[in-house]
Amino acid sequence: MDIRFNAAQRALRDELRGYFAGLMTPALRAECERDMGEGGGPLWREALRRMGEDGWIGLGWPESLGGRGLSPLEQFIFVEEVMRAGYPFPFLTTESVGPMLAEHGNPWLQETLVPRILRGELVIAIGYSEPEAGTDLAALRTRAERDGDGWVINGQKMWTSLAHFSDYIWLAARTDADAGRKHKGISLFLVPTSDPGFSCRPVHTLGGVRTNATFYDNVRVSDAHRVGELNGGWKLITGQLNRERLSLINFGPVSELFNAVHHWAAETDAASGGRVIEQAWVQQHLARCRTLIECMKLMVYKQSWAMSTGQLGMAEASAIKVFGSEAFIEIFRLLGEVVGPAALQRAGSPGANAVGGRLERLYRTASIITFGGGANEIQRDIIAAAGLWMPRSGR
Amino acid sequence: MDFAFSDTQAAIRELAGRICEEGVEATGLARYDEFRDLRFDAGLWQTLCDAGLPGVAVPEVLGGSGQGLVELCLLLEAVGHSLAPVPALAHTVTGLLPLQRYATPALQAAILPAACRGERLLTGAFWQAADAPPTTLQAELQDGEIRLSGSYPALPWAAQADHLLLPVRLQGELAVVLLDRDSPGLTLTPLQLTHFEPQAALALEGVALPLERVVCREEAHALWDWVRLRLRAGLCVQQLGAAERVLRMSAGYTSERHQFGVPVATFQAVGHRLADAFIDVECLRLTSWQAISRLAAGENAELETRMAAVVAADTGHRLSYAAQHVHGGTGIDRDYPLWRYCQWLRYQEMVLGGAGQQLEIIGRGLARGEGLFT
Ligand SMILES: Cc1cc2nc3c(=O)[nH]c(=O)nc-3n(C[C@H](O)[C@H](O)[C@H](O)COP(=O)(O)OP(=O)(O)OC[C@H]3O[C@@H](n4cnc5c(N)ncnc54)[C@H](O)[C@@H]3O)c2cc1C
Repeated sequence: MDIRFNAAQRALRDELRGYFAGLMTPALRAECERDMGEGGGPLWREALRRMGEDGWIGLGWPESLGGRGLSPLEQFIFVEEVMRAGYPFPFLTTESVGPMLAEHGNPWLQETLVPRILRGELVIAIGYSEPEAGTDLAALRTRAERDGDGWVINGQKMWTSLAHFSDYIWLAARTDADAGRKHKGISLFLVPTSDPGFSCRPVHTLGGVRTNATFYDNVRVSDAHRVGELNGGWKLITGQLNRERLSLINFGPVSELFNAVHHWAAETDAASGGRVIEQAWVQQHLARCRTLIECMKLMVYKQSWAMSTGQLGMAEASAIKVFGSEAFIEIFRLLGEVVGPAALQRAGSPGANAVGGRLERLYRTASIITFGGGANEIQRDIIAAAGLWMPRSGR
Repeated sequence: MDFAFSDTQAAIRELAGRICEEGVEATGLARYDEFRDLRFDAGLWQTLCDAGLPGVAVPEVLGGSGQGLVELCLLLEAVGHSLAPVPALAHTVTGLLPLQRYATPALQAAILPAACRGERLLTGAFWQAADAPPTTLQAELQDGEIRLSGSYPALPWAAQADHLLLPVRLQGELAVVLLDRDSPGLTLTPLQLTHFEPQAALALEGVALPLERVVCREEAHALWDWVRLRLRAGLCVQQLGAAERVLRMSAGYTSERHQFGVPVATFQAVGHRLADAFIDVECLRLTSWQAISRLAAGENAELETRMAAVVAADTGHRLSYAAQHVHGGTGIDRDYPLWRYCQWLRYQEMVLGGAGQQLEIIGRGLARGEGLFT
């Protein structure tokens, strides 16, 4: 029992801080800001490739797959630091789809796509949700039908984030409409967005984040683009979602935000006299946020340690997702109160300050992960069943 | 980074858990309800001492097992989990630990081996929720000895202990002394606390104490802070033990109890309330063990113990009411074990100083620039 980084891990973190200080040029920052923190621009692409070249993306991957052979804990330190630096890292590609391809992909996928992911050359979007299939994902209707050696895909996906600059869609489609249960009969495909039958329309959300409706009109792929067992896609979906959940909660950016608000409150005069931070209620709010972020930090540390030692529990992973997503909302509210009216001004507004502008936006984006990545109700169901052994009702 | 217990720690945990659970099983806790019997199972305490558990963090030359704070906290977690009627926290964290760290070799040799064997019981006046050393205990130098006077409101196990470790004002300065409980001029008034633990109000009137019984003067503030950190961590891990038990009890009960033809656990609202409790307990576990492992490594852990205290207070309160609620009437039926746990969750929440006070102190530290993320 020793809940501290060792010297090598601390050194790695410091090295990464230095690295990202150099990587995040003002021009790249401006581009990411313009793209609403999603990336996709030319400088963003170039930076991703550089991270790949410098061996960071595959830090915790086995050397046989082109990685550096360190543990998931080191990989986690890298992801925390890249997020903390404010770079919109395509973590779904690298941390969730990538490992699934490495584990379940056919040799062609493993040999061609996985190394390109680690080199920072590929971005993959997730195509699960549909207009009529949200939390009940297994209700999806997009279908893939045999066509000679390959497949023809038809249907519509909703909320396909990053699809407008992705190279592939990790797509769930029905391959057996007659399977007895709706979880059966689903298969996973990697669909190239360059296919003429693929199209994409923007969907704009409250937080300014762009996502997409994507359409599949007689999209043709070879059987080599299919991942894992035929009609065994549900296992891949849940496996990917487990990994996704773990990468949704990062304490790096929120701890950096906390420090920034603290700095602001220590430097700024309060209307009632003295500095903002001298007010008792501000101290109370900051202390509450500090404690919430500490809990989040410890939970994600434990999760990455558990991944390194192969002891990751389902209930713990869901607990992080619920706690983290709800803590973010509470933290943004409390920090917003500390910053006050400035937290209502858009980043570009005349006289807006940097932390206020960030909080204005974060407050608008915070709801996504309470229902996305598996609604928190489902996560609580999982905790009750897997963590507390409580029986669950049939669904 | 390692979240697992070592093999030795796992063995200690198993041993402490087994002795406590079996001890409580053998006699039950009902006889201590409403102060009928003194809430002290001397036989169980002796068994724990014979197994070397209270002295687990004391060096072997002084009669202990030479382990550390992590190992001691495994005992405290087991006490919280079982509600074993033993003075573990008072005897170890407010007695053995400060003596082993701060007392003179002579005093250590006189007290510690016997205290590890269970022949002497220790307690100390470090429970101030206000978090500052008491100002109500005075000491004067008179004719080469010390005269003590004053009072202390609620001292756990004072009437059962052989020696009391007291922070006093000696010529106006903080000092820590070790007083025998049977000293003339010392009066103890037993109190009735919500959780039935033996506690007493202490009154001293011209109590004589030889100079050798001054544990420290220059380092008295350091001793106070040192004990407070460990007491906070110890209370948190005891809270964790109790909370874990309540959580499992609630999950088990709702899985068995049927209404509308199904287990009540299958109602999503019930499952979700306990899922939230699961998350609270996980946070308590992580913050507590972080604080303990940092203290064990010789770090200060001021902030970490206080954050753990906030979580311990919030978790105790929320879990207690969630558990009572999902049990329905059974939860407060005195023939069912939950209610005693609720009393302990409450006591530990309050004696930690409560979430509000801890947040205030963390917030003041932040305003001084302490505790930012690195
Ligand atoms: C910005 C954004 C990005 C997204 N990115 C992607 C992406 O890249 N790829 C992708 O496939 N999807 C993506 N999604 C979709 C996301 O995963 C879904 O929004 C999510 O699965 C919920 O589905 P829904 O929106 O249809 O809500 P619904 O399924 O209609 O659920 C609405 C609410 O009903 C309640 N509810 C539903 N089922 C239950 C239940 N069993 N028990 C209790 N309560 C329940 C919950 O409160 C839930 O929040 C994205 C969504 C957004 C907004």
